[in-house]
Amino acid sequence: MPSDQAPPRTAITASNVTRQYVGGTFTAVDNISLELRENEIVCFIGPSGCGKTTMLRMIAGLEYPSMGDLTIFDKPITGPGPDRGMIFQAYTSFPWLTARKNIEYGMKIMGLSREERSRRSDEFLRLVHLDGFGDSYPASLSGGMKQRVAIARTLAQNPGVLLMDEPFGALDAQVRWEMQEMMIEIIERENTTVVTVTHDIQEAIYLSDRIIFFTRSPGRIKADIPVSFKEGRRIPRKEEMLALPGYVDLERQLFAMMREEIQQK
Amino acid sequence: MIRLRRRQGEDVNQVARRSVSLFELRTVLSGRTTLILGLAGATGFFIIWELGHYITPEESQRFLPAPQEVLGALITLIVEKDYIADILKSCFRIFASFFAACLIAVPLGIAMGCFMRLRALLNPTISAFRYLPAASFIPLLLVWFGPTDTQKLALLVLGVIFFLVALILDNTKSVQPELIEAALTMGAGRRQVVTEVVVPAVAPAVVDSMRNMIAVGWTYLVIAEIVAASDGIGAVMMRAGRFLKVDIIMAGILTIGFLGVATDLLFRLAARYAFPWNRERGD
Ligand SMILES: Nc1ncnc2c1ncn2[C@@H]1O[C@H](COP(=O)(O)OP(=O)(O)OP(=O)(O)O)[C@@H](O)[C@H]1O
Ligand SMILES: [Mg+2]
Repeated sequence: MPSDQAPPRTAITASNVTRQYVGGTFTAVDNISLELRENEIVCFIGPSGCGKTTMLRMIAGLEYPSMGDLTIFDKPITGPGPDRGMIFQAYTSFPWLTARKNIEYGMKIMGLSREERSRRSDEFLRLVHLDGFGDSYPASLSGGMKQRVAIARTLAQNPGVLLMDEPFGALDAQVRWEMQEMMIEIIERENTTVVTVTHDIQEAIYLSDRIIFFTRSPGRIKADIPVSFKEGRRIPRKEEMLALPGYVDLERQLFAMMREEIQQK
Repeated sequence: MIRLRRRQGEDVNQVARRSVSLFELRTVLSGRTTLILGLAGATGFFIIWELGHYITPEESQRFLPAPQEVLGALITLIVEKDYIADILKSCFRIFASFFAACLIAVPLGIAMGCFMRLRALLNPTISAFRYLPAASFIPLLLVWFGPTDTQKLALLVLGVIFFLVALILDNTKSVQPELIEAALTMGAGRRQVVTEVVVPAVAPAVVDSMRNMIAVGWTYLVIAEIVAASDGIGAVMMRAGRFLKVDIIMAGILTIGFLGVATDLLFRLAARYAFPWNRERGD
């Protein structure tokens, strides 16, 4: 969490961002304004098709707003860049590179020296619990391990902002919570600003400091909810969070909001 | 499915391993089983051929010689007629023309898969050429180059190049878009995305496409060597045809079949060696 000295800087701003498709006849994201502070973990949640991925991809610079502006640390976003790392739901570790070479790839683009790359790839292999698998190709790794390679590859570039689109969506429940705890550990260590998209209400509460709830399509912000019962703490074990007073209330509130959005006609 | 009883002390997996069904879905086969089944299939073919020869009436048996007669003709060709030189000539024509076709088609197909404007510019024309039978170019090529090697190479190139471009374009289009986007978010430039992501991602599929198209090349070989050729496997077969020497024609067919399978195997081995990362689990 931000220290007491300087007030946290603004990492990302969106002002009146709208994204339309099909020649302007379909609005996916409708007039969204928001501000994300440095070191904050924010989660986009909302019914399927409400524009979460679209919003995230615009922040990544992979898509452009039809109207409105996006900035990162006060500079306009004009395209993708290594200051915003992105994790996709589909596994994107490069099949032709070993786990280690995958992790080094981003650093190579940044021009880090061979020694630096090899030192950092060791470090990040350990961080995502893949030590011993450095020389394996993705084809011989499980889905969760492939996703960890992609996460390590992105984090090794030390991006100021980490963007994740349902990063654990394809994993089974047990691997999922292991990965969530791993992410908390890494984010805490690396001091990264994170925007993550999820369908999973418990995951949203566990990971984030703040939950941004989208309305059904066209996506607007329905509510901006601070996860205040965690008192700004990053909790290493999920069951600790479940035991905190306030958890159940927030979960119930989010479920109710979700039902409200889905049932509206 | 042959149902098997469980032997004493055997677990279910061992029973499964002993049981044999031709129609088990997508099982993983060992190299040995694959080889044995392949040889069994080929043997079956020769047995049917042999039977066909014996049920043919005596007076027309020379139009369907037995496998051993064809084999005899093949040996005579090699020993007495310098057939090896014809084979080498045909191999040269196939490989030289295919190499030239790949030299153009592989970079062009990948570029068209990456750059939409280039694709829009070239694709309609290239697609149109795919519908022209290569044989229809023979008169034109004879006028241009005469009955030379160049004419035959040109025909072989024309026979495969347009299909090759189309296949490689398709291969490139089906590279997972997230791989490209991941590289972009890591800060890769356009050139890096093409050379460091698209090319390695598409390489195994490209080698597969090449393997399939060189088979088509072999089929054009005979067309190229039947018209205005004095050497090569096709020319030998054409001459034999004039004297109704069916055993020599069949020896030619057998040679091409064998060389085709050998080329296919060569491509498979090369791919396995070049892309060790592409091996599926249990492959
Ligand atoms: N390239 C596109 N062309 C046309 N429509 C699109 C395109 N991309 C997204 N859309 C539409 O925009 C809307 C929002 O899509 P988006 O993928 O952002 O939803 P989402 O909130 O991420 O949904 P989910 O939770 O199911 O992933 C959807 O209705 C989708 O059909
Ligand atoms: Mg989505």
